Amino acid sequence: MLRPDMRSPRESRAILVVVCIALAVACYSGCRSNRAGQKTLTLAINSGVEGDALRQAAKDYEQQTGVHIQIAEFPYANLFEKELIDLNSHTGAYDLIMLDDPWFPKFASLNVLTDLGPLLKNRGQDKPDEDFIATSLALCRNPYQTGSLYALPYVGNSQLFFYRKDLFQKYNLTPPATWEEVLNAARTIGEQESSGAPGGGKVSGYVMRAAQGNAAVADFMPIFWAFGGEMFDSSGQPAVNSPEGIAALKFMIELGKYSPPGYASFNADEVGAHLLQGTAAMSINWPAWISSFNDQAKSKVAGKMEFGQMPGAKNPGRAEIGNWLIAIPGSARSPDAAMDFLLWATSAAQMKLSAERGNPPTRRSVFTDPQLQAKFPSYPAQLTSLENSRPRPRTPLWNEIENAFGIYLSKANSGELSAEDAMNQANTEIQRIVAR
Amino acid sequence: MALTLRRNASDRALPYVLLAPAVAVLLLLTIYPLIYSIRISLQGESGNWTVQNFTRLLHDQFFLSALAHTLIYAVSALTIEFFLGMALALLLDTQMRGRAIYRSLLLLPMMLPPIVVAVVWRLMLNSDFGALNGTLKAFGLHTESLTWTASPKLALVSVIVADVWQWTPFMFLILLAGLQAIPQEPYEAALIDGAGRWQTFLHVTLPLLKPAILIALLLRTMDLLRVFDQIFILTEGGPGFATETVSLYIYRTAFRFANFGYAAAMSFVLLLITNVISLGYMRMLQTRD
Repeated sequence: MLRPDMRSPRESRAILVVVCIALAVACYSGCRSNRAGQKTLTLAINSGVEGDALRQAAKDYEQQTGVHIQIAEFPYANLFEKELIDLNSHTGAYDLIMLDDPWFPKFASLNVLTDLGPLLKNRGQDKPDEDFIATSLALCRNPYQTGSLYALPYVGNSQLFFYRKDLFQKYNLTPPATWEEVLNAARTIGEQESSGAPGGGKVSGYVMRAAQGNAAVADFMPIFWAFGGEMFDSSGQPAVNSPEGIAALKFMIELGKYSPPGYASFNADEVGAHLLQGTAAMSINWPAWISSFNDQAKSKVAGKMEFGQMPGAKNPGRAEIGNWLIAIPGSARSPDAAMDFLLWATSAAQMKLSAERGNPPTRRSVFTDPQLQAKFPSYPAQLTSLENSRPRPRTPLWNEIENAFGIYLSKANSGELSAEDAMNQANTEIQRIVAR
Repeated sequence: MALTLRRNASDRALPYVLLAPAVAVLLLLTIYPLIYSIRISLQGESGNWTVQNFTRLLHDQFFLSALAHTLIYAVSALTIEFFLGMALALLLDTQMRGRAIYRSLLLLPMMLPPIVVAVVWRLMLNSDFGALNGTLKAFGLHTESLTWTASPKLALVSVIVADVWQWTPFMFLILLAGLQAIPQEPYEAALIDGAGRWQTFLHVTLPLLKPAILIALLLRTMDLLRVFDQIFILTEGGPGFATETVSLYIYRTAFRFANFGYAAAMSFVLLLITNVISLGYMRMLQTRD
């Protein structure tokens, strides 16, 4: 009948079934094992200096309290989509999420974040403490500034105006208080320094990023606001093509003449490279770059860069704010434990540690800490900038609006469209997005 | 008797049992998402049934220009890759010296992940620090206006060049395999009939190579129409909107603007276009003349 080395089909099937069951059990128990035992919190963080600080804080917290903390780390480009999908489908995968402040209105409008008010009340506080900087805390409320609290600010970035103080001294220029002065300084430096860069190249008077999307919009907003532009008028209608808005874009294009060629595709990296290589003299930039300038290994302009306030025009200059917030998803498995961690991580003591790890704080007491000010001489300028800063328009449709607006700004800067056409078309597109 | 019957019945069931896991995986990972995305493409923001996602496509300037870019990109890259690949295949089908080395060298670009290729090209095309402008400058040329990926006019050309560089080898590989599969006899017959080289190529090589050509074109067309990674790294669709393709716009719509229904609708349109073109190739492949 059957040869001894051949198994009957039935036997083979039995073996197959057993193997399948074994695999399934192994997988299931593997997935469950980390849920057993002590309390676990899962954090979604940004991979970068902001997330690193929170990860290290989480380690300390684990040692102090025994609460096990799992980290899910994603690059900036993926973090938003991961969080959005998780929060929207209520999987409860994360107990805490880091979010960039422009995403906040979207999450808040979807009703997927935990209201922190009641959790604070349970702990005997009726509001977050006064030490938090008002402009940072305002971002965490929905509606902006006045509504319920859905997050706490963790990293307090706001734009600064970077300029080369050595070149300003050389040409007897005063630190620019207005955009007109910026343009004049850019012209002087651009014309005079045709071979002044390390290596003998040209120093551009200014460098900006006008790649479509976030980059162009972030570099344009301070000019737009200073010239009196507003994205929405008092009735809430898009108004970027106001005379002020068009004048601001014309000014940006004019300033672009003193920017390195190709700036219409620049992102943060290209701008950073130009400043570090000493081939550009001024820019709007974020505090995260400051430490690189004094790092001899990376920078050819160590000690020559100064960090000041945003220039003004018709209106006083105001920087754009860009804070990292931490929130608790509505679907979080243990909101109470998450709140304990959140309060701990944003406490003054912890924020000081985070600041030492390279993140601008969101608390006044940390900005004014003498030890930190000695280590980060730009802190007073950062504090002033942050306290005077403005947020991007608070709308859940911001990503879409920023995308459309950025496309037209980039088109205008690359010479594809005139300032008028770009602003008119941008306005039509924003109207379409809002009306949808 | 009863025993053999039972065994026969279970033997007949065996193929189904063995197929079941594969079918289950397919259902779970392909069929279910497909049906789900059809559903969401036909739903509005509040879950109501509507075709507005599809009607919106007709008025969406961003979608229409992304579609135009995709088609320009696909047609130009496909044409260049085909002629270059054909020329290389014909060249290396001969008994030239060192052809094994050339063949392996030519296949290198194809082995690299598209992301790596895109990063390398991005660095080479950088107008200030890039190798390309550096080389041109060394020859005394003015490169001020050659901003490549930053120029609305040159950006699309730049991404096409990167694609041609990476994927011509693929064309070449399939065409070379096709050439080597052609038997010697038709060539001998043509020689006896007194056909010249050009006539031989036109009337012997091309017809016999047709299946290989169509397969190569089919595979490249499908890849080109859904291009994402290279462009995402090289230009992210910019400057402005100059290199935005349908795939990039779908990605943005779904994962940046969280409008999954509209993104699904666009995906179906792209799928439809790809299918119609592929069917055309398939039909040509099946007709024997």
